[in-house]
Amino acid sequence: MNRRTFLTAGSTALAGLAGCLDSSGTSDSGTSGTTANTTAQTELSGTLKVATYSAFVDAPSSSPGKWLKTAFEKEYPKATLEWQTPENEVNYFIQRRAQGVDIDTDVYVGLNVDHLITIDDKLGGKQLFTPVADSLSNYGHVKDDLKFDPKRRAVPYDTGYISLVYNGHEVENPGTFDALTKPKFESTLITENAQQAITGRAFLLWTIYEKGPDAYLDYWSQLKRNDVQILGSWDAAYTAYSNGERPIVVSYSTDQVYANRSGADMQKHQIGFLNGQGYANPEGMAKFANTDTPTLANAFLEFMLSKKVQSKIPTLNVQFPATDWADPGKEFEKYAKAPEKAITYSYDELKGNVEGWVDEWARQIATN
Amino acid sequence: MGIWHWLERHALALLGVVTSAVLIVLFYFPVAIVFADAGGVDAFSAVLTDRFYVNEIFAFTAWQAFLSTLASVALGLPGAYILSRYEFPGRRTIRSLTIVPFVMPSILVAIGFVAMFGQRGLLNDLLGVVGVGPYSLLYNLPAIIVAHAFYNAPLVARITNAAWESVDAREVETARSLGASRFRAFRDVLIPQLLPAILTGALLTFIFTFMSFPIVLALGGFEFQTVEVWIYALVRDLDYSEAAVLAVLETSLSLVLTYGYLRYEARQTAATRANRPLARKRVFSGVDSSTESLERVGVLVYSAVVIVVFVGPLLSTVLESVTGPSGFTLRYYEFLVTRQISGASFQTKPGVAVQNSLVFGLGTLLVALPMGVVIAVLSRTWDSRLIEAVAMAPLAVSGVMVGLGMLRGLVFGVPVAGTRVQVSGAIAIVAAHAVAAYPFVTRNVAPMLSGIDPRMVESARALGATRFRSLVDIELPLVAVGLAAGAAFAFAISIGEFDSTVILATGSSSYTMPVAVERYLGNRTLGPATAMGTVLLAVTAASFIVIDRLGGRWENG
Repeated sequence: MNRRTFLTAGSTALAGLAGCLDSSGTSDSGTSGTTANTTAQTELSGTLKVATYSAFVDAPSSSPGKWLKTAFEKEYPKATLEWQTPENEVNYFIQRRAQGVDIDTDVYVGLNVDHLITIDDKLGGKQLFTPVADSLSNYGHVKDDLKFDPKRRAVPYDTGYISLVYNGHEVENPGTFDALTKPKFESTLITENAQQAITGRAFLLWTIYEKGPDAYLDYWSQLKRNDVQILGSWDAAYTAYSNGERPIVVSYSTDQVYANRSGADMQKHQIGFLNGQGYANPEGMAKFANTDTPTLANAFLEFMLSKKVQSKIPTLNVQFPATDWADPGKEFEKYAKAPEKAITYSYDELKGNVEGWVDEWARQIATN
Repeated sequence: MGIWHWLERHALALLGVVTSAVLIVLFYFPVAIVFADAGGVDAFSAVLTDRFYVNEIFAFTAWQAFLSTLASVALGLPGAYILSRYEFPGRRTIRSLTIVPFVMPSILVAIGFVAMFGQRGLLNDLLGVVGVGPYSLLYNLPAIIVAHAFYNAPLVARITNAAWESVDAREVETARSLGASRFRAFRDVLIPQLLPAILTGALLTFIFTFMSFPIVLALGGFEFQTVEVWIYALVRDLDYSEAAVLAVLETSLSLVLTYGYLRYEARQTAATRANRPLARKRVFSGVDSSTESLERVGVLVYSAVVIVVFVGPLLSTVLESVTGPSGFTLRYYEFLVTRQISGASFQTKPGVAVQNSLVFGLGTLLVALPMGVVIAVLSRTWDSRLIEAVAMAPLAVSGVMVGLGMLRGLVFGVPVAGTRVQVSGAIAIVAAHAVAAYPFVTRNVAPMLSGIDPRMVESARALGATRFRSLVDIELPLVAVGLAAGAAFAFAISIGEFDSTVILATGSSSYTMPVAVERYLGNRTLGPATAMGTVLLAVTAASFIVIDRLGGRWENG
């Protein structure tokens, strides 16, 4: 791995020196006489269009978008980072690709494994993103268990762990999946629609992981008998939880980082892992296959994995870093809780299965 | 001079052509794209023979829509009665404000309902003071129905109120002088004139709640699934063919309803115009009879219900926006100000959202009013229910379906002779809003238009006026109440519209207030979203009062 990292880093720098990769770069690159790396950075120019989900750039509390743009443009003074937030997120691009409409965007930030499966199912042979991981020198720092794309298009930049958040004044930590079906926890749990909400889907997949594909529907009918509340989105669920509707909600294990910032009562923001686990939901970024600034795009991906950015993203996006060299600071270390064991389904395990699992689940829940 | 004369002679026909063109480009073409995905007979029979779809999804959708309609009419009619028949301070302001719930983004309604009816909501707090509760009032079928009534009862009230105010007092007086009892006069004179309006409100409510999805999702919980919720899920998975089949079935059902209603309406005797509206009673004046004092008690009880169902969620939203984890706070408004002053270009600024909403609302008004009137006139002239049903179709087609078609048809562009013709930006948003809004103009104007004595128009034409001239000079002033109501609806729909705005505003700065509310949600605090929601409430409330007053001035002068 180290050897390959070294080689790819070297070749990228050389390509930058030669000025032949970036079509939008100025033509006189390579003449400045500084080191290869500096040349690549000072000469890389043009506009890099990066699409993402809107909370990444426009959240009310904190979001990494603004900081990333400033930091990236400081590092590449001739480049401009332009954020895009299409309403349908990555589906917008899948639709465009399927319809044969041009894609004017270079990088996408905020992919998960479901997106990759949808892309491969809907687009078949048509390529949306290009494999890029192996050409990134910083990719070696990405934690192995977070890498979720066997085709190496999506590069993880952070991860969340799905867990329970509960009000310690009202209930104790259920601790296990089975406890959630017991009378003691009747009418206490809120989760989200697994068709649409990332947290809801992760919780469903977690139950399938735990109970098996043949028995998860039985488990859910037990949950239903115990009056589980399933709401449409994470926002709706968390709002209901905050308003005291139920004392337990399926959310993220970084909950206390937010709670601490708003000065909330920590007892109301207890983190509960089930069976000692948390379901990992890594977020990835990828380069569009038809980008006209591939070098600048690569530079951005490298930048996202750099130590500096990896240390900053966790506090701004309130997710765990994806690399081994990040230092997110004391506040994060203190309040972000990681599970003893992180579990997740791989791309290959989900492909061909996830749609059926979710559909069966939805039909069972909707049948009264 | 010649051109102007020609334009005036053909103004109606020209407006008809323009209206059709807008409809085809912004509505029928996108819808056709979705229909094209639906596939053949097999796809339809697969859905129709699927017990799950028939028994769980379609049956539940119709059932909740039926209950929601009953609730909306039951809650709306007393409101229409009080607004029409009583005089009290602030009556006109309250009438203007009846439209505010109609434009509230569903996400804000959900927040308001949770804050009002939740375990720790305002209602339970108040009940706790008298020592009862707390009651769990959310995430069940009644919650869905009350929320639907929150949206649609004001619609019923408003449409009925417009009809009530155009009832001529002399007819009732004549009936009474001929010996009819109050009840007989009510039943034989008043009810026939109000029924078309009530049924319009009921039908619109049924169609809206039949296609409802954000409210069902947010306040019902996932076990309550409507067709639209299911379509939305399929679209999210890019499973277009099955989504299209469901959308076609759903649309067909609501079109049949619309067509049936229009046939019914055509058989009704036309309402006459109010030369002299019914006199209003005073709420705060001496009461003579026991029936009247009983009526006053009814008004008080109804006011209490209105305060709980309508004022409660709105008030709770406002309270939520000034409440942090440790009590009263203004930091969410501070956030709005900071975002406006120092937000990055790619971030949502509240001031821009307010400005866009007002500009789009005004634009919608200017486009939808002529469109709605033209369709009202043409459908009377040609006397064809089918044409009217086709023109009314935007009411009956789900937002998810139009949104999907727009995205694939207009935003991505249509290849014409080697280049892609795209429609996006502010003009596309205004046009899309106008398409959604003009049916309300038509529905408010058409019944009144048909009540005008055709001989008045004929005399004008015999004296040399063009059809257009007689419409502008004679008919429109006579239906000013309906026009003002239609204008308020058009503006309201533009302000509250969400689905097509987000699609058409993608990658631009054309976001509106509801879009801003949605974008300010998240990261574990409702503060910024409710603060923006409060701004939305304030701006829209103020605008409707202005529109209604302007419309009223026109109607009086």
